[in-house]
Amino acid sequence: MNEDEPEDKSPLFPRWSYWYALVIGFLLVIIAFFYFLTNYFA
Amino acid sequence: MSRPDWIVLVLTLLAIIAYGLYKSRTTKDLDGYFLGNRTLPWYIVLMSIMGTQASAVTFLSAPGQAYTDGMRFVQYYFGLPLAMVVLCITFVPVFHRLKVYTAYEFLENRFDLKTRALTSFLFLLQRGLSTGISIAAPSIILSSLLGWDITWTNIFMGGLLIIYTVTGGAKAVAYTQQLQLIVIFAGMFMAGYMVVHRLPAHVGLLDALHIGGQAGKMNIITTGLREGTAAGGRGGFDWNDRYNLLSGIIGGFFLALSYFGTDQSQVGRYLTARSMGESRLGLLMNGLVKVPMQFLILLLGVLVFSFYQFNKEPVFFNKSQITLLEHSRYKDSLVLVNREYDAAETMKIKERNWLSANEGKKGQAIYVEAEQRLHQAEGLKAWARGVIKRWLNDKQVGGDNNDTNYIFLRFVTDFLPRGLIGLLIAVIFLASWGSIAATLNSLSSCTIVDFHRRFTKKELTPYKEYKLSRMYTLFWGVFCVGVAQLAYNIGNSLIEAVNLLGSLFYGVILGIFLVAFYRKKIGGTAVFVSAVIIEAFVILLNVLNNKGIVHLSFLWFNVVGAVGVVVLSELIGLVAPQKK
Repeated sequence: MNEDEPEDKSPLFPRWSYWYALVIGFLLVIIAFFYFLTNYFA
Repeated sequence: MSRPDWIVLVLTLLAIIAYGLYKSRTTKDLDGYFLGNRTLPWYIVLMSIMGTQASAVTFLSAPGQAYTDGMRFVQYYFGLPLAMVVLCITFVPVFHRLKVYTAYEFLENRFDLKTRALTSFLFLLQRGLSTGISIAAPSIILSSLLGWDITWTNIFMGGLLIIYTVTGGAKAVAYTQQLQLIVIFAGMFMAGYMVVHRLPAHVGLLDALHIGGQAGKMNIITTGLREGTAAGGRGGFDWNDRYNLLSGIIGGFFLALSYFGTDQSQVGRYLTARSMGESRLGLLMNGLVKVPMQFLILLLGVLVFSFYQFNKEPVFFNKSQITLLEHSRYKDSLVLVNREYDAAETMKIKERNWLSANEGKKGQAIYVEAEQRLHQAEGLKAWARGVIKRWLNDKQVGGDNNDTNYIFLRFVTDFLPRGLIGLLIAVIFLASWGSIAATLNSLSSCTIVDFHRRFTKKELTPYKEYKLSRMYTLFWGVFCVGVAQLAYNIGNSLIEAVNLLGSLFYGVILGIFLVAFYRKKIGGTAVFVSAVIIEAFVILLNVLNNKGIVHLSFLWFNVVGAVGVVVLSELIGLVAPQKK
């Protein structure tokens, strides 16, 4: 089975790599947000 | 508990069991029983993954953790999204292509039977014991706070779910987890609303967070560097510090990769998906929602902390330990300490109210004086708690001086309205059930697929295999409740025992899988020998850690185990190259 098979088509994005980038990007954003909160409430 | 609480609790639990039985219809073979015929959509897979990971302890312990140590525990989950991505790229396609029932089946395909059997055995050993302990941990907390009989609490905590798990297998587990999570999130949201609602009128959500921040509870991101590092003094990275950015990303990554990639209780959840894409989507969504979810649960702990700045905080949250002291040689001194503590509490509440209502006077002498009185009260409280903890540590008393896991539930039972208490007790049961049900299903699948089916020569019909699988699920259920009964004496350190047990074995299991996926030239014997040696090394490391000879947080055991197996297999492969 590979990424070209119809049942494994990535929803919303053309490729799964976009999903991976979204998950990693979201993690970075959330860490930055937590860093801001840490300093804001310190 | 009041009658409305009992009604809410019993009705919620009965509804879950009934729903589980209703969703029990599957084909009567291994595919239906262990994988729900591989028909589930991604959102059920997501709920199932989350429901399996979030145990009762998650909801009991995390708010208490934030209350005492602050929010930094959330960093423990930073490696999880990265692990989800690696899983989707590497593990998921292989498991789906081979159409395996258990993750360990793949190891025989890649290496040999002995490596598969060793890995599956390590899983059964670790999971069987830690699930028993996972039943005991919330049972002890509930029985201590509510005065319930520990044996019956264990049976209800670990036994009732057997009804639908034995009958319906993976499909019943997944669908009940969906309902369980809805009830859990509703209960936690209501608890959060009630904390904010019960704050004084002049204190809002942001004020409450500022109060938590001033007390160091909003330490969401920490570096793990010792004080003095920046100033050029004797600092450096503290390897014994459990929760910081580096240990969270690296240690947490290895832990999550081991747990989701090699622990059958999780692999069995995403193998139920109707396609590889649905498995991937369920895992990636978990990578998106897990950190914010954990953040909110911890935030509840900070809010409870702020709430207790305006309300009387118990000197010790575990009531049963105070009762223990009342019957010890410290009973007279306890009265005196309680008196001092109560006076300090009264002063704290008075000053805290004044300070919150007079923010505009910040910097003025009158404000500074009030702050000083507040610090004085805090100092007195800390002294009283310290004395009580010391008494509980006395061998003659034989108490448990850690009350972190009692904080949230004590708040619930002392301050929440009738009905809601019952719902939150139900939340504890449901969180426990969701996690244990998935584990029983996976223990049974490994027992029959990796051992019974593989080592017996007698050919069984699909229906007989299905019947046998139900028997194994029942066996593991009874086994885990039995371990819970025996684990009672370990006390509050049970939660640490669960985490430690996982870290002792997960790294090595992950190492075997990493070699399988990424080092194609290494054969079965090299990885088998490496796994045995490194497992012994990790156990030795733990012994040295306990004796104080080594100072290493348990999260790093995962890294040592995984990297150790990969490196040693490589070396053995160089010295004695083998063909598969």
